[in-house]
Amino acid sequence: MSVDFLHPGEGAAIDTDVPALELRGIDKRFPGVVALDNVDFTLKPGKIHALMGENGAGKSTLIKIMAGVYGKDAGTIRMRGREVDIQSPRDSLKEGIKVVFQEIALISEFTVAENIFLEGYPTGRTGSIDWKKIRADSAALFNRIGFNVDPAARTGSLPVSQQQMVEIARALAHEARVVVMDEPTSSLTPNEVSLLFTVIRRLASLGIAVVYVSHKLDEVFEIADTVTVLRDGRHISTKPIGEHSNDTLIQDMIGRRIDNLFPRQRGAAGGKVALSVEKLSTARKLDEVSFEARTGEVLGFFGLMGAGRTELAKAIVGYDPITAGTISVDGQRLTPHDTRTGVRLGIGLLTEDRKSEGLMGELPVYQNASLASLGAFARMGFIDTAKEHRAVQDYVDRFRIKTPSLFQQVKNLSGGNQQKVLISRWLMRGLKVIVVDEPTRGIDVGAKSEIFALIDRLAGEGLAVVMMTSEMPELLGLADRIAVMCEGRLTAIMSRDEATQEKILNAAIG
Amino acid sequence: MSLANIASAKAQPSLLARLFARQELALFVCLILVLVFFSVTVENFFSVRNMTNVLGQASLALTAGIGCAIVFISGEVDISIGSLLATIALPLIIIMNDTNSLLLGVSAALLFGLIIGVVNGYLTAYAGINSLIVTLGTMFIMRGGVYLYTGQRAIPDNASLDSFIALSDGRLFNIIPYSAVIAIVLLAAFGYMMQHRPFGRQIYAVGGNQEVARLAGYDVRRVKFICFIISSLLATVAGIILAARVGSAQHTAGLNFEFQVVAATVLGGVSLAGGIGSLTGMALGVLILQFLSNGLRGLGLPTEWQLVITGMIIIAAVAFDEAKRRRANGG
Repeated sequence: MSVDFLHPGEGAAIDTDVPALELRGIDKRFPGVVALDNVDFTLKPGKIHALMGENGAGKSTLIKIMAGVYGKDAGTIRMRGREVDIQSPRDSLKEGIKVVFQEIALISEFTVAENIFLEGYPTGRTGSIDWKKIRADSAALFNRIGFNVDPAARTGSLPVSQQQMVEIARALAHEARVVVMDEPTSSLTPNEVSLLFTVIRRLASLGIAVVYVSHKLDEVFEIADTVTVLRDGRHISTKPIGEHSNDTLIQDMIGRRIDNLFPRQRGAAGGKVALSVEKLSTARKLDEVSFEARTGEVLGFFGLMGAGRTELAKAIVGYDPITAGTISVDGQRLTPHDTRTGVRLGIGLLTEDRKSEGLMGELPVYQNASLASLGAFARMGFIDTAKEHRAVQDYVDRFRIKTPSLFQQVKNLSGGNQQKVLISRWLMRGLKVIVVDEPTRGIDVGAKSEIFALIDRLAGEGLAVVMMTSEMPELLGLADRIAVMCEGRLTAIMSRDEATQEKILNAAIG
Repeated sequence: MSLANIASAKAQPSLLARLFARQELALFVCLILVLVFFSVTVENFFSVRNMTNVLGQASLALTAGIGCAIVFISGEVDISIGSLLATIALPLIIIMNDTNSLLLGVSAALLFGLIIGVVNGYLTAYAGINSLIVTLGTMFIMRGGVYLYTGQRAIPDNASLDSFIALSDGRLFNIIPYSAVIAIVLLAAFGYMMQHRPFGRQIYAVGGNQEVARLAGYDVRRVKFICFIISSLLATVAGIILAARVGSAQHTAGLNFEFQVVAATVLGGVSLAGGIGSLTGMALGVLILQFLSNGLRGLGLPTEWQLVITGMIIIAAVAFDEAKRRRANGG
């Protein structure tokens, strides 16, 4: 009863009583951590099952066990009642379990079509690859799904949202019984999200069991039939979505109630001008962008995909080259235009791409935190490590960074805690202006409110915070003033009080 | 999302456009320029005799270069091939001298090459040791072993089998050296594998992104392991041709050969980082360097200058490549 998305007619009748995939009593330990403790997870064919939980709740560990990336320490896995042994991604794929990971997992030098068939190339009689079939089938697949991606394009040349669609399409290229999607919408536009939901419903109607992992409650309420919540590696609840409300779901996830996602501690905004940007242009995107940010305020930038938020963030900290305009931090011009000068003047970027632009994953927490301030710990050219450790420990305590020690490799921390390490890096440097780009990307509800509180605190301590976001609630909840971008231009700037969702969206459309 | 715009977006670019987008064309143009320049400046450069001679000389690097490029594409390096050339000549010559059988000699050489490939591959892929270190180690071990065994004296080929000597001076239709024929056949076969067999594409995927390849169900370690075996076996073939050419097993055979091959491979656009490049590019890189060296010699330039010029060309080529890539990515 496997189902091939390309040839849906061939699937046999669906027996919805036998679970497509049944995980029982799954344990997984890592040195010093119990990641999963006796977790049960049962998927029915044709149902969309949301998997939720905070960072560190065990969602990704559970997914990785299904995908064969990790082996389990105890428990059983059954596919349609038959016990299976999943030791490697290959075993998992063979059983028809397709996982779409949050991180793009494509070969960027390959064409889209080749990536679609990466896990098994169609071959002719001689065992040679049938390129014609690969091209035709991937075009047919995209056509069927309604995604508009060029199968002949080099994958690395596509924007992230299209790469994500390629990932999703890939899961459907071979026969699948279980499709797991880990935060599939993180870089999709609203249109693409609704397209994706149509695809997911189609999958379910074909008898595929779909696991949908997301931090976005509204998405889960829209798409899921059933919700399973994990917390601290344990199974908390599995219920039909109808029995949940926003509040009960959050409560299950964090084990307590969050009354206010956006706790405002800081006082009224608006000190002196900390950042002044005038007629800033770049070669590819920005077109005469001008604005000011003041100490103690959060200036939120909103825009749809491709509006130029990330480009602006990278240009004003000196990371990307500019073609015209000026940037001044605390009255001093940012020249030469590079990050060395930026950091010296006191402007830094909290990147949206923590993994490749923010963290040195293999290095310990303390080295990641102290990176921008080594000069402050140096004595005659040698780093006073005791002093460095004390300083980092201070931030670990203040921000309640969950880490076993300062020496833990930072890649092992949860997204929220990694973000706090990065914020520590900049605070330690004594910034005047911090630019945060999508500060909660890949971070879940509980940790989100902590990040919000941190941003609030940064502004409270007198920094000017420039926040790039595509999340409306985040924007309205945090910003003192709201700037809206469209196609590289600044189309509106308004105070929080005069802002409405409608006004913002209108400006974003241009 | 209409059907029409999917179809139009999918239209294949013309063959010419695809060629121009590829590095191979730039290399091909370079090769033509080299040929034209020396044809004008050096007497008898552009003659059938000289062309086929150079092809014969290039066949060693072409053959071993296939393996070098494949290992590069898988994201590893193999610098043990020069020493391997000298090492496999020992079983080859000794067995042939004893048995008067080319088949037995070649089999022994290939078996020896296989063992080295297994060692390199196992230590890199399964034991997880950096391949530069592993092959640097086996390079020294083999070279030292050859010095010890031979006492730094050449072991002459006493069997003088016709079939063996033909490897050095035999020519197909009296024109193309057999060694070049072997190189071309191997190039075609492995070139086909790299582009059209699933295993070839797996090598690109593994070199392109190891984690992605693993998630797609590939046995990354096995792929790398096999790449090292391919490399050692092809270097063995090159070593057999070399032994035929010098008519003996010599302790200095293939000295610095690995660096010539690496240079040509890099010049051919094969990235050390893995996942990028082609055997065609590698072959063009070998030919450019070989014709260059032949032409410069024709101009009467001493070998020392050839080294200097080769070094400059490699750095310039890779810098050019990097600049092109940066422009394409809009940085």
